[in-house]
Amino acid sequence: MAAIQVNHLSKSYGSFQAVDDISFEVEAGAVFALLGRNGAGKTTTIELLTGFRRPDAGTVRVLGLDPIRDRAQVRGNVGIMLQEAGFFPDLTAGQTVEIWRDFTPAARPASEALELAGLTAKAKTKVRQLSGGEKRRLDLALALLGRPDVLFLDEPTTGMDPEARRDVWEVVRDLAARGTTVLLTTHYLEEAQQLATNLAIMDRGEIVVGGDMAETLAARVGRVSFELPSVVQPGELPLPATVRGKVAVVQAADPDLAAQTLLSWASERGLRLRGLEVRTASLEDLFLELAHNGETAQNSTTTRDARA
Amino acid sequence: MSLTATYKLSARLFWRDKGMLPASVITPLGLAIGMPTLMRNVTAGGVTAAAQMFVGTLALILSGTAFLNITVALTMRRDQLLLKRLRATRLTDRQILLGEVASTATQTVIVMVISAVAVHLLADVPLPRDPVLFAVFAVAGAAVMATLGVAWTAAIPRGELAAPMTLPFFFLAGLASGAMGPIVDLLPSWLHPFFAALPTSAVVDVVRASYGPGTLGSDLAAAAVPALVLAVWAGVALLSIRRWFRWETRKS
Repeated sequence: MAAIQVNHLSKSYGSFQAVDDISFEVEAGAVFALLGRNGAGKTTTIELLTGFRRPDAGTVRVLGLDPIRDRAQVRGNVGIMLQEAGFFPDLTAGQTVEIWRDFTPAARPASEALELAGLTAKAKTKVRQLSGGEKRRLDLALALLGRPDVLFLDEPTTGMDPEARRDVWEVVRDLAARGTTVLLTTHYLEEAQQLATNLAIMDRGEIVVGGDMAETLAARVGRVSFELPSVVQPGELPLPATVRGKVAVVQAADPDLAAQTLLSWASERGLRLRGLEVRTASLEDLFLELAHNGETAQNSTTTRDARA
Repeated sequence: MSLTATYKLSARLFWRDKGMLPASVITPLGLAIGMPTLMRNVTAGGVTAAAQMFVGTLALILSGTAFLNITVALTMRRDQLLLKRLRATRLTDRQILLGEVASTATQTVIVMVISAVAVHLLADVPLPRDPVLFAVFAVAGAAVMATLGVAWTAAIPRGELAAPMTLPFFFLAGLASGAMGPIVDLLPSWLHPFFAALPTSAVVDVVRASYGPGTLGSDLAAAAVPALVLAVWAGVALLSIRRWFRWETRKS
């Protein structure tokens, strides 16, 4: 059974449609990335999944339970790292974890949670003296206290330096390897690509792209480019290509396979494909492509304002 | 159990909140001990006047230590998204609020007992004849005032407005119960039933009976109407919380 099931979920604030009829599933043990620009609806989606907000329409199931109706039960099995939530500024990081242990049945030892989040050295520091990145780590420590089956991370590494970010990735990978289901939102494309097995890209409340990370990337923008030999007409190529000047570009779900096909086709004819480039898609390509489409669409309609 | 956890957290935060202690403890305690002691020493019928005044000042403790304090604390925690964070844990909404109410009520009763002992030592005010009656209404009154404070947060848009929007009740409660002297007698008589219907006045009336002469029967009779008054206020508070309580600041 999928750990998270979302069916035709919608939520609006007044006339602003924050989440617009989205559906997706996250398999147990998968890492699912929810991407999108500010105001795309990521945080609202997480708040609906964690039962902080009531959907206008549609259903959410986390571990088969309704996060609002069965909140206490769901909370026992999930860890939540909110994008925005306060701490008691005069308590130390260690005291905060200790107090949260009282709220958490079968909690990890405080030292273990701090260690996991890389905060051991700051255990005796007051929360008000922690940096932004350190507060995110404390947030992570609290989310991990109850050894959750499902972990919701809303922009987990915002404000962290690259090293800290890599540490957190390591923790998330490790948890996922042991079967924890992770749903995270992020601005960092690299983060999503490093961690996630599945993704959904949101724009204006809708999921515009979704599915398996590798497949999605490959299907969208994998490409092979080369100089078209002067003796060859584009129509003769074994794969459909677009030609701009001398350069032919083949878009393909599997660019490696496409390159092999092209190369063996060329060698059979004694041709050389100069300047051959095989490019697997990166999430950034996909994102830029979508952003570009979005802008085109936006220019033709009236501009809607974004909201986080 | 988790209710104990929220209770402990709330109590710990109460005594650590240096910004709030002057309003939540020092002022009510200072008035409840200082004013009767002053009366004892400056008026002719000293002890009677002191006792009279002391019982009235309990309304200040109820509205300062219970009502004002919980309103400010909860509104601040709501603004700082601390309530939201608490709700991200296993705790239920009920446990979070009940922990706050129970802890606030406990601190309030502690302050009431300290002041009763202090005026006994400093102003010769006798201890209550019926300590059980005193205790029952101190606890019930503190709990109802704390619950009303939780309800009142819904009317407050943001943290900085919590104190100014709550202080008038502090003065009203003190005025109505005679903590500021017999000013009530100077006000139009049609206002009297209104003052008597305040939850703080209900507690003060019964505590007054617990200090005065009487029997079990007369104590029960004195407690009947105030108990009803408190029950109605408790109902109003609970219904308002159910209907209007907000865990986060309003968006936009």
